[in-house]
Amino acid sequence: MLLEIDHHSGLPIYRQVIDQLRQQIMAGRLSEGEQLISVRELAAQLRVNPMTISKAYALLEVEGLLERRRGIGLFVARLRRDQKTRTKAKLLEDILRKAAVTAIQFGIPEEKTQEMLTKLYSKYDSQTRSQSNE
Amino acid sequence: MNSEKPIVQMRKVCKRFKKTTALDQVDLEIYPGRIIGLLGANGAGKSTLLRHIIGLYLADTGECVTFGCEAGKLGPKELARIGYVHQQGELLEWMTVRQLVRYVSTYYENWNRELEEKYIADFEISTKARVGSLSPGQRQRLAILVAIGLEPELLILDEPAAALDPVARARFLDLLLQIIQAENRTIIISSHILSDVEKVIDHAVIMKEGRILLDCGFDELRERFSQVRISALTGELPAELPFENVVYCKRSDGQAILTVRDCPQEKLQEQAKRLDCWVEIETLPLEEIYKIVVS
Repeated sequence: MLLEIDHHSGLPIYRQVIDQLRQQIMAGRLSEGEQLISVRELAAQLRVNPMTISKAYALLEVEGLLERRRGIGLFVARLRRDQKTRTKAKLLEDILRKAAVTAIQFGIPEEKTQEMLTKLYSKYDSQTRSQSNE
Repeated sequence: MNSEKPIVQMRKVCKRFKKTTALDQVDLEIYPGRIIGLLGANGAGKSTLLRHIIGLYLADTGECVTFGCEAGKLGPKELARIGYVHQQGELLEWMTVRQLVRYVSTYYENWNRELEEKYIADFEISTKARVGSLSPGQRQRLAILVAIGLEPELLILDEPAAALDPVARARFLDLLLQIIQAENRTIIISSHILSDVEKVIDHAVIMKEGRILLDCGFDELRERFSQVRISALTGELPAELPFENVVYCKRSDGQAILTVRDCPQEKLQEQAKRLDCWVEIETLPLEEIYKIVVS
């Protein structure tokens, strides 16, 4: 679990922790059923106040991404498929929105924008990549 | 969280030094388990406030209660629970560092030898040097050691990082975080430089001219202000922008940057939807927030 805190950002540290953990869970870098390191350990690792970490964990628990097993600790929750899809779509949409607006402001037509996205997708997608190598 | 009892309660505390009002109707409650940043320019009243907590100054009017005891009547039992590092750090000049530490430690049953050894090693304090010959930075490290060795429940640090170099400062902040890991410890740290303490504090009290301007959770403070960047998709922005509580506004034909206070991001996003523009809502850098609060 590798997190990075930007202390100069105005974004509260607990929000930074939440955003990064959510991202890692959705990308599968933290897998379902995996135990999270304790509040104290993570606080010591990131050199932040332990209360900040417990706040972040608590909010992710409310969101349903983490679940607490009494006396043991916090684990990455097993998510319903539709819930996962929805969360991923929302995170991606936030990024794509910016791309769409930039395209409009630059006057790049819709087809051209889509074409660029398609090209980029195949460039980084491992399956497409391995097929083209064969 | 506030179901716990405050360990310090100040009610309507006023303090005057001749013609200067040092504290003006100060109300403050300090709850356990926090790291509180007491922020403000030089002369804002930070040191005076801290001295009231331990009974070094007595209020002209109002009252200050620490650990359930009127601050002016604190006895050895309560004082053994408080560590205090003051700005001018007067220490016994003729002793060696080792002697001073031994001397102070004999006053406290709860003195932690292990912590003492670790601190001396981590902060490269030379134990054989005379206290009087130490550089300001080394003196400050020694003053901090003497205050934390008794494992205080309440640690009061008055501008502790001022004389430390950047590396020692970073290590010192790490040390504070380690101290707070122990249950129910509380630290009050004053500074006129926000960037010195922003890494560790979870509560902020901002003072100006003897008054408390703001007393709130640090996260809450960061979320209280937002920066709204608006840019037109094409052409110009509308003349009227639908946002309330705007503190500052900079705009040109196609772009505007607003600073908004006390408006949740969700509400801003709602307002943004009514605009046919690209709107980005971000938090404000801490220095900017601080400037707005004290101005």
